[in-house]
Amino acid sequence: MLETTENRNVEIMLDNVGMTYDAADGKKVQALTNVTMDIHKGEFISLLGPSGCGKTTLLRIIADLLQPTSGKVLVSGDSPREARLKRKYAMVFQSATLYDWRTVIKNVELPLEITHESKSERRQRAIKMLDLVGLSEFSDHYPRQLSGGMQQRVGIARALMLQPEILLMDEPFSALDEFTREKLHVDLLKIWRKTNKTIIFVTHNISESVFLSDKVCVLSPHPGRLSAVIDIDLPRPRHMEIRDTPEFTALVSKVRNSFEGV
Amino acid sequence: MKIVRKITGSKLFFTLLWIAALIIIWEVFAYQVEQTKRTPENVLPHLSGVVDSITSDKKINGSQTAFQMVMENAGATLSRAAIGYVIGIALGFILALVMSLSGIVEKIVFPYLMLIQIIPILGMAPIINAITGDIAASRIVIAAILTFYPVAANTLAGFKAVKRESHELMYSYSANKFQLYTKMMIPSCIPYFFTGLKISAPMAITASILVDTLQGGVGLGCLLSQSLKGAMTRYVFWDIVFFSAIIGILSFYLIGIIEKLLCPYKKLEQKGR
Amino acid sequence: MSARPNSKRRNAVQSAVLPLAFGAVLVTAWQTGLLHKLLNTDEYVLPYPTRILTIIGENSDKIMENVWASLEVALLGLVFGSILGYLIAVFAAAFTKIGSGSLTIISSFNAIPIVALAPVIINWTKDVSPEAEVRSTVAKVVIVTIVCMASMSVNAYRGLTELPAFSQDLMKTYGAGRITEFAKLRLPNSVPYIFTALRVSVPVSIISALVSEYFAEYVIGVGRQIRENILIAQYSTAWAYIIVACVIGIAMYVLLIAAEALVLKKRR
Repeated sequence: MLETTENRNVEIMLDNVGMTYDAADGKKVQALTNVTMDIHKGEFISLLGPSGCGKTTLLRIIADLLQPTSGKVLVSGDSPREARLKRKYAMVFQSATLYDWRTVIKNVELPLEITHESKSERRQRAIKMLDLVGLSEFSDHYPRQLSGGMQQRVGIARALMLQPEILLMDEPFSALDEFTREKLHVDLLKIWRKTNKTIIFVTHNISESVFLSDKVCVLSPHPGRLSAVIDIDLPRPRHMEIRDTPEFTALVSKVRNSFEGV
Repeated sequence: MKIVRKITGSKLFFTLLWIAALIIIWEVFAYQVEQTKRTPENVLPHLSGVVDSITSDKKINGSQTAFQMVMENAGATLSRAAIGYVIGIALGFILALVMSLSGIVEKIVFPYLMLIQIIPILGMAPIINAITGDIAASRIVIAAILTFYPVAANTLAGFKAVKRESHELMYSYSANKFQLYTKMMIPSCIPYFFTGLKISAPMAITASILVDTLQGGVGLGCLLSQSLKGAMTRYVFWDIVFFSAIIGILSFYLIGIIEKLLCPYKKLEQKGR
Repeated sequence: MSARPNSKRRNAVQSAVLPLAFGAVLVTAWQTGLLHKLLNTDEYVLPYPTRILTIIGENSDKIMENVWASLEVALLGLVFGSILGYLIAVFAAAFTKIGSGSLTIISSFNAIPIVALAPVIINWTKDVSPEAEVRSTVAKVVIVTIVCMASMSVNAYRGLTELPAFSQDLMKTYGAGRITEFAKLRLPNSVPYIFTALRVSVPVSIISALVSEYFAEYVIGVGRQIRENILIAQYSTAWAYIIVACVIGIAMYVLLIAAEALVLKKRR
């Protein structure tokens, strides 16, 4: 039924991953305990949960921004560090994190400057990516001249520049208004279908996670843990109208009811 | 009517209004002084008198008009101030960079950087003059020291103000240190750097003039002291006062204009976010 | 990861020990004459630290007399200038249109070299008193006042006008008048900005007090003593006054930081 979930190639393997902080008062805080799961190639996974459940911690561990205190992470056989150095990931943050002093197209070209790609190649690919996110005509604008939604689309275009296998998105749409967000959901799914990336999407919005994902991983706090993995078997491609169907509503309640201790 | 309202509503209009008010107050007092003092120009001359002294072609020391004299001495003072300013900027920026690269250096140097701001460097001008033994050199040294602190402190603040996500973005690209600084850290601290430049430009000029007053020779400060002592017409003193005030203020705005030219993105209005 | 609290403590220790060690190295270099070689000068122009300390000890009465003279000028000017600056800011905040123009003018006072300002003010205050000591003090206080006024008025204006979002609307829903709005919202909002201004103007008040002494008629004050002693080639005594000036600067700044911590404690 879904090509993406039938593809059994494991891209990211999490084995008993745990993270313990030392709080200021000397107590240990368990941000994450015993997370074990496989993420397959081309899958769209959401990490869903309230604040303090460890969803962002988990994403940052995969991104090699944090080292887990226990357990193991493998990204197609590599450690997160090796995967980062091979530039298998791209990150999209909550704020677009564009550089004020660069025009839109120069912002998008940035990652290829880091990898010393030729100027013409940089420009060519940037034009393609801006086209993909529908911002071609804004390439010479500065970020400050764009709306929040447009800035975030530039961020996505920039993330795709290194042709990563995995897109790590940390609450990318949470600062946007509902109308812009719903439009970007549809855009993101289109981009995902065209590029076939594996996407890990952190959010605290239940309906967002259901609309976008193949699988919703529900995390619960105190201690942060994976409390449920729910398959979203809604047909693709998905349109905005799917939110009004009884199947969608049923999945939303199923996800909501799987939370523990909130 | 619309145009009139637009003009009277602008900030510039009120600034000009204030300047006009200041001029009127000045002239009223100048008139008062004129009625009561034997040598009014020693206390408060009419502004017209000051303008006259600048534009008149009367030679006041045998070979030069007041204007030529002020300009020649200004050249000696301001060129040293400028050299010191540039040296101070370079040193301040490099130190901020090194402090940002190395936590150990930051820990060692930062308290002393604070100290430079707190202790009265200008009060040390005479001793620096004694150490260097050369007035031109001490102008440069003091202007550099005074420039150094605001540039270093503001640039460092700029490096520290970089958002965590910006760092993580570069980290996710596995950018090296050089790329991290040239592509991200340095461009993002430029506005802070310019804040430092704006603060220190008038300070460098002040310092340079002050050093002049410590010793004879050429320089605005020397000329100012001589005129105060009565060695030449008192109008030279007023010319210098107005000239240095205007140069001080202009230096501040000049740096602001350079910043706007270098950072065209700064003046753009932020869209609703 | 259990190393965290330890590494924090180690950090704090490092931040204290490293600069102190650097300072010790510097003083040692000075005392052993290494610094003199570096600066290409002799122990006559740059006396050894021990020699300077001896001079301070021997002349403590005279030094204290000059310290009080300078402190009086700096503090009076700081207080007058800050109050005046704050009042200007209140005026500018109440009549924004006329006011912001006046702030442009006042902030440009900041760019006027104090060297140009000092002789003018000294000229203007000649008739204040028949006694040179009094009229010199008045002149110096006025100079410091003008210099301190600028930074206070600009910062206080920001504190009085850059209010938290919707706070003005909140006041309106309570039916608060302008006075109430000022007392309950603008005034408390401006307090941290007052300290921002003071962090600038406390060091500046000392510097301008010392520099204004150079031009004053009556010979007194730490700044003037530095200059007079250099003119008669008494470098050790001049250095003694320089060290004292630095101590005044540091002491006043530390007092300010302490006061700020005390006043703003509840806000953090």
